[in-house]
Amino acid sequence: MAIIFKAVNYTYQPNTPFEQQALENISAEIPTGSYTALIGHTGSGKSTFLQHLNGLLRPTSGVIHVGKQIITPETKNKQLGELRKHVGIVFQFPEAQLFEETVIKDIAFAPKNFGKTEEEAETIARRMAQQVGLDDELLSKSPFELSGGQMRRVAIAGILAMEPEILVLDEPTAGLDPQGRLEIMEMFKRLKEEQNLTVVLVTHQMDDVAKYADNVIVLEKGKQIASGTPSEIFAQPNWLVEHHLALPKAGEFALEFEKKTGYKFATLPLTEVSLARQIASLLHGGGVHHG
Amino acid sequence: MGKVLLGRYVPGDSIVHRMDPRAKLILSFFFIVIIFLANNWQSYALLFALTIGSILAAKVNFAFFIKGVRPLIWLILFTVLLQIFFSSGGTVFWRWGPFNLSYYGLINGAYVFCRFVLIIFMSTLLTLTTAPLEIADALEKLMMPLKKIKVPVYEISLMLSIALRFVPTLMDETAKIMNAQRSRGVNFGEGSIMQQIKAVVPLLVPLFVSSFNRAEDLATAMEARGYRGGEGRTKYRVHYWQTGDTVGCAVFVAVLIILLFLRHW
Repeated sequence: MAIIFKAVNYTYQPNTPFEQQALENISAEIPTGSYTALIGHTGSGKSTFLQHLNGLLRPTSGVIHVGKQIITPETKNKQLGELRKHVGIVFQFPEAQLFEETVIKDIAFAPKNFGKTEEEAETIARRMAQQVGLDDELLSKSPFELSGGQMRRVAIAGILAMEPEILVLDEPTAGLDPQGRLEIMEMFKRLKEEQNLTVVLVTHQMDDVAKYADNVIVLEKGKQIASGTPSEIFAQPNWLVEHHLALPKAGEFALEFEKKTGYKFATLPLTEVSLARQIASLLHGGGVHHG
Repeated sequence: MGKVLLGRYVPGDSIVHRMDPRAKLILSFFFIVIIFLANNWQSYALLFALTIGSILAAKVNFAFFIKGVRPLIWLILFTVLLQIFFSSGGTVFWRWGPFNLSYYGLINGAYVFCRFVLIIFMSTLLTLTTAPLEIADALEKLMMPLKKIKVPVYEISLMLSIALRFVPTLMDETAKIMNAQRSRGVNFGEGSIMQQIKAVVPLLVPLFVSSFNRAEDLATAMEARGYRGGEGRTKYRVHYWQTGDTVGCAVFVAVLIILLFLRHW
């Protein structure tokens, strides 16, 4: 399902003294099956953008197409139920949404809401628990007995259980340990490939953007200031600094390497893998030219 | 959320903003009490003049006050209609069963309407010009005498300021959890009453759990920073009674005297 924003504006509390424009004339496209990263400074409108994807917010003006569904300012709430089935949003700190008596019931909650029977929902829930790496013995426990990392997994499984076609992730690894981070990010990557999901990721981790995303949208103060592939976005280090963004670590290392050695990379490596590869070929090619 | 204007603070710099919160709190209560002394048009005109004068002195946009009345309009209309149709006395214009429309009924209805509007305007003015923590401070100071009869004033005021501080945080949290559950297919405010009550569970349970966690974290953080109870603490925010406060009080007392005079016109 492709997502297309056409001249979308969104204003919080319009016509009050607290009026605040959060999105300004956004026209963006998120192609089917892409892994799109949404980056920008805190308060740039990323979360507002996300909430438009499943109709939690409707634009103040403009049109959004999500697959066949069209969202305009006039769209009624009732028409959006169908859309929410297809768009799963993992909010920031999603463990705050757990409430059922047992883990399995909580994971099965969304599919039941969207019309699955008790048994079907439970089968899906078991499968999803496995997907996110939860042990079977945890399933009958209360979600509040689990550790923070396990709760996060339960919450994510609860969204995956909706079997969405578009998966929206709002900083899914914030507050997790490095191991948990990697595991969860790899899991999303695997799911995306297996089920041909469209993934939208909001993150401040430029390493993740470089490693996973194939499409980047940059927001600043509610406006879209750039979009393109990660290599296009990260091509101008000065521009990044101006807009309070940064290069991925591999890219920074590469720049430093260029400065120290005078060597020029053909393309700036953005991930550890491509950095290692380019340095390896450089070594094979015979030595560093000192400048 | 966001639509509730009552209880919101709009920073500003006016005579009213700079007043001592104790003075504002006392005057607001005082005003609400003296409203009930008003019993004729002249006295209501006086009270309206005082209210509008205070609003002008605070330099706050008048639209706020109209918006403050709006959520309560049904309660006001209900009470006014009750007054109109069930009071008797004076010329009766219309009668049907227990209902009657009389001269006094109309007058009383109008008075009740005026009282509501005045009370709402004045309390909106208090909350618009006074930060919540200032109100908590003022209450603490004003409750101090109650310590003599063993009322735990420090504890009450601490709880009050913590509660006030966390109102917006909890509102944000509520909005977030609601959004998360709506994304999981919960429809808030739709369907039969039973369905609506059931829909609240996925909101209330996480909210309670997070409040418990928050309370524990906050208590730990407070202890770690050396909090040992209210006794023997010093104050960071100190309020001083200024000339403006005395003048404000004098104006209100003057209004009370004129009001007592108008009552027996």
